[in-house]
Amino acid sequence: MSQQNRYTQQNPNPMPDRNIPKPPDTIEYICGDCGAKTAMKPSELIRCRECGHRVMYKPRTTRIVQFEAR
Amino acid sequence: MVAAFDPLSPTQASSSSSTKDKSTFRTLTRERQFRHPPPNLSDVPALDELVKPHLESFNALIEDEGLEGGKGLLQLGVEDIGEKVVFDGKGEGLGTKISYRITKVALGKPLVPEKDKHARERKIFPSEARERLTTYRSRLTVGIQYTVTDPSGESTQYEEIKECGLLPVMVRSMRCNLQNLPATELIKHGEESTSFGGYFIVNGNEKIIRYLILPRRHNPLNIYRPSFAKRGASYTPYGCQIRCVRPDQSACTNTIHYLSNGGATLRFAWRKVEYMIPLMLILKALVNASDKEVFEGLIQGEYDNTFLTDRVELLLRGQKTWGLHTGEQCLNYLGEKFRVVLNCPEDWDDRMVGHFLLHKVVLVHLPNPRDKFRMLIFMLRKLYSLVSGATCADNPDSPQHHEVLLPGFLYGMIIKERFDDCLGAVKAQIQLDLRQNKAKSFSDPKYFSSVLTKTNWDIGSKLSYFIATGNLVSPTGLDLQQTSGYTIVAEKLNFYRYLSHFRCIHRGAFFAELKTTTVRKLLPESWGFLCPVHTPDGSPCGLLNHLSHTCKIVTSALDTSQIPALLSAHGMTQVFASSIDGRRMVCVQLDGRVIGYASPQKSKQLANLLRRLKTEGNAKVPLDVEIGYVPVTKGGQYPGLYLFSDRSRMMRPVTYLENGKTDHLGTFEQVYMDVAITKQEIEKGVSTHVELDPTSMLSVIANLTPFSDFNQSPRNMYQCQMGKQSMGTPSTALNKRTDNKMYRLQSGQTPVVRPDLHNHYGFDNFPNGMNAIVAVISYTGYDMEDAMILNKSAHERGFGYGTVYKSDIFDLKDAPGAGRSTKPTLHFGLGRDVRDDSDARNFVSSDGLPIVGTRIKSGDPICSYTDDTTGRTKFHKYKGDEVAFIDEVRLLGSDAGDAELQKIHIKLRIPRSPVIGDKFSSRHGQKGVCSQKFPAIDMPFSESGMQPDVIINPHAFPSRMTIGMFVESLAGKAGALHGIAQDATPFKFSDADRPVDYFGEQLRAAGYNYYGNEPMYSGITGEEFHADIYLGLVYYQRLRHMVNDKFQVRTTGPVDPLTRQPVKGRKRAGGIRFGEMERDALIAHGTSFLLQDRLMNCSDYSTAWVCRNCGSLVSLGFEEVSGEGMKEYCRICDGHGHAESSPVGAGAKKEKGVGVVMKGGEKKGSMDVVAVPYVFRYLCAEMACMGIRLNVTVT
Repeated sequence: MSQQNRYTQQNPNPMPDRNIPKPPDTIEYICGDCGAKTAMKPSELIRCRECGHRVMYKPRTTRIVQFEAR
Repeated sequence: MVAAFDPLSPTQASSSSSTKDKSTFRTLTRERQFRHPPPNLSDVPALDELVKPHLESFNALIEDEGLEGGKGLLQLGVEDIGEKVVFDGKGEGLGTKISYRITKVALGKPLVPEKDKHARERKIFPSEARERLTTYRSRLTVGIQYTVTDPSGESTQYEEIKECGLLPVMVRSMRCNLQNLPATELIKHGEESTSFGGYFIVNGNEKIIRYLILPRRHNPLNIYRPSFAKRGASYTPYGCQIRCVRPDQSACTNTIHYLSNGGATLRFAWRKVEYMIPLMLILKALVNASDKEVFEGLIQGEYDNTFLTDRVELLLRGQKTWGLHTGEQCLNYLGEKFRVVLNCPEDWDDRMVGHFLLHKVVLVHLPNPRDKFRMLIFMLRKLYSLVSGATCADNPDSPQHHEVLLPGFLYGMIIKERFDDCLGAVKAQIQLDLRQNKAKSFSDPKYFSSVLTKTNWDIGSKLSYFIATGNLVSPTGLDLQQTSGYTIVAEKLNFYRYLSHFRCIHRGAFFAELKTTTVRKLLPESWGFLCPVHTPDGSPCGLLNHLSHTCKIVTSALDTSQIPALLSAHGMTQVFASSIDGRRMVCVQLDGRVIGYASPQKSKQLANLLRRLKTEGNAKVPLDVEIGYVPVTKGGQYPGLYLFSDRSRMMRPVTYLENGKTDHLGTFEQVYMDVAITKQEIEKGVSTHVELDPTSMLSVIANLTPFSDFNQSPRNMYQCQMGKQSMGTPSTALNKRTDNKMYRLQSGQTPVVRPDLHNHYGFDNFPNGMNAIVAVISYTGYDMEDAMILNKSAHERGFGYGTVYKSDIFDLKDAPGAGRSTKPTLHFGLGRDVRDDSDARNFVSSDGLPIVGTRIKSGDPICSYTDDTTGRTKFHKYKGDEVAFIDEVRLLGSDAGDAELQKIHIKLRIPRSPVIGDKFSSRHGQKGVCSQKFPAIDMPFSESGMQPDVIINPHAFPSRMTIGMFVESLAGKAGALHGIAQDATPFKFSDADRPVDYFGEQLRAAGYNYYGNEPMYSGITGEEFHADIYLGLVYYQRLRHMVNDKFQVRTTGPVDPLTRQPVKGRKRAGGIRFGEMERDALIAHGTSFLLQDRLMNCSDYSTAWVCRNCGSLVSLGFEEVSGEGMKEYCRICDGHGHAESSPVGAGAKKEKGVGVVMKGGEKKGSMDVVAVPYVFRYLCAEMACMGIRLNVTVT
């Protein structure tokens, strides 16, 4: 077994490859009225696609949020 | 999937018996209410009742369920404004005439603008206005009708609709989309289940127009005021004042002044200017009264009363000097004098102007001149009786003569005035056109329309300004005494505070400046209407009161048309009777209109009859009519039978003893009623009424103090303040709130000891504190001076754990670099110039908005934006100095949903666990600061192993006498042991039935000491204390004053650039001033080194060069010495001869050169270094600028 192979086996969650294209700059926002998700690009109008409401919420991050508990 | 079985569901009606709420805490009932809010009514109807006057007064603007043919106050207002007239002055006479008026007013409901085609829900709900930080408003439109009449008399009529902008609308009023929605629907629309409305939303802030106390309408008040005498020659301190209110609720005050020459003048204000007219002139002008008519009216048969006859004679004789004998002459005279002031149409003759004046300013509540005449005569008679000493002056500070300015009515008055202004502006515009010869032909209908478009009709923005600032911009002053402070922010700090905003009532800003304290006094007349406990201490004490929880305010006009006929049928002499004996008869009035006369005995009978009828629900006499029978007394109030049915009066329910039915008492009549407080107090033949409950005199908040009848009264006042400052539950719709700052108690509990009203007003929805086991013991000294020791384990279990929510609103429009153009140049986002591994990416995602859930410290970026012009990315940073978490991020769109992201709202969550220095209080005005969080092992413990959560010092009690806290402790302990909620309503116990016995028995039943004492053991030594310790359960509030917001400390830091002294202010990391008095203290102590340290070393210490010879601090000069660098010298002493001989400008260069020569030989100069405060150097420099020399002697 080569060195390279063993390394990958040891680490089941390797760092993501730098060459993978980044996800597009759209983030889904939650409508303040109907709760539907709307993907919006920057410079898009603030309006729910479903109901036309004018307040959107940014959803909570999917990143692991962990703080040192003391 | 099958829905989970819910035993509390209302559909499970069959099993409801099994889920019957046996708990005295109403746990199941509450849970049921939380899970299934009522689908057809509001959650807590009692709360709606409390804010009703706000809502109903606003509703009255639009549609009135009262008498005026269903017309709203706005409609009545525009009718009162009437017609405006302009002439073009062309052709013969005055030329073509345009007369125009507003015919109708319409206010819509808040809707999405038509521009927006996408919105599915066309209604706008208040929660959107709050979230988007906009104003909750709707369209106001008026119909304008104008008539063009040419000189030949031919006229054509046109109509036009004019938009008046977007008017802020009261939430849950008739023009709100939430009107009458049940709890379930409210929750759907982002409100709390208990939302009761009554406020406006302007720029996202909830604003309330607060109640103000005004003089009671249509109630002539005898006033003795020394300042009246300064109004002019022969004026005396006597006057009779009446505040009259038109049907549209706008007011005008008339005052009759008594003159020492026997005359009387009537004073009124027109556009903030006061005018005085001889009363006789008005009496004659009103009804063309003959001298005999006036004489008989004033004397009323008292021919032998020489005091009266003398004065009436002088009054009549005084009139003769004017040479105006008939009513016509008087009218013409008045019209001639007031023509310019009143701005009447040019084609009116003097007589019409005179009529107009009388209609507009004299007793405006009475349309009929004869009624006005009678009322003026009555007022004059009342005034004469004051002057003669037969009756006393009325107290204008007494609630008997007060009413309430209601928000809706004030709003309507302002709108009416704005309409008037707009119509005036139209006239001014036409006249301007005429002067500049720009006016087209009047007969062209397009001309008037073009004038309308040229004038500013944006009434909505003016009202938004009013509500946002509370400033009243008014040319007439609206007969009010203040110009600002009409609105307050409804802070949702906790529910106590929020609710009391709606019940507070202010005496007026004018009285706040008054040096005398008489206006602040608690008068017995206010019993049952204003809470005696709930007023702040300090500057607003006694001026800012709160309504008692049973006090209602009449908001609708009552049908009293039957009353005069009813009274005359029962023996009242009618007004037009030919002869009335003033000594035997007293006046009967209804809403400031004389409706008849009756003997005092008869009046009393009539009053009793009316009261019986109204309590029995007779259709002729509504329940809210106030029947003020003032008996004949010697030197008391002027007698009569005064009926009041108009709006804005305070009324309260009591039981009428005669028939055991509920009666409503007003402030005027209550003075002459005998209201027993309890049933036992009723005295046969004396008492007329009995209170529904002894607690009805207290406000909602004061009622929530448990066992408040056992406390010293100031402690109850303190609790009313502190309850409003405690961290609690600001709202149950926290995720829809955008308040600037919110305090939330995470671990709130329902109190074990609570009064009945706690449930009635649904306070379980908004917990305001925690139940704590409290030991009253002096332990370790950390509980000295109102400090309290917290059990560290209690703290770790969440005792008092709170959160502060702060809003950070970031608008790209106001960001640096924003352009003026309509198209934005700034956009949220991370530009290409931010590297992938940049630190900012930990906080901000690619859209430029913060990552929800991240922790941020001071200086961390929270959002980023790119600039189109520079292409760079800029960051907006977190400014606070505490660790915070991004809780919510809101993207705020535009009104019509047609704009890209320019404004965001970030809600930051700052955890605030209790720390040493945070403030806590019980509900008895016993506040204290946490001084130590003791580890559980060091806490004392009882025989059963219980440790207190809180230790307080016994010295907190003797001087403060808060026995209620002892009782609460006892009751709480018993309640906790038996698992029951204890009723803590005040006035339930008595000397015969003592709370100690009641709760003592409960404790004994649970196996505890009857008196609540327990043997305890020291947590440190394990030894038993010599004394038994009072241990019980008390509800504790955590107050919002926290050290983290307050501490101020510095060693070094920013200094003022001019003086180099430390700056002030906590925000700027400044110091605390060590002032003169502190200096005195240190001098007195002889601690000079400390003084030096404070005033010099830690402040603006600096070193300066001083000349030993001349003592100047500003004469330092430098010379170059070869090899040694620079050397200093005194420019006064060492350059003396040369500097004097040459002018300054030219000498500067020369001097330097010469100085070198002169000082070359010396080893050491005359200069010395001394330590001086920098400000002293600055002073020297400033003095030198003015040519003043300061000398310092160096020894």
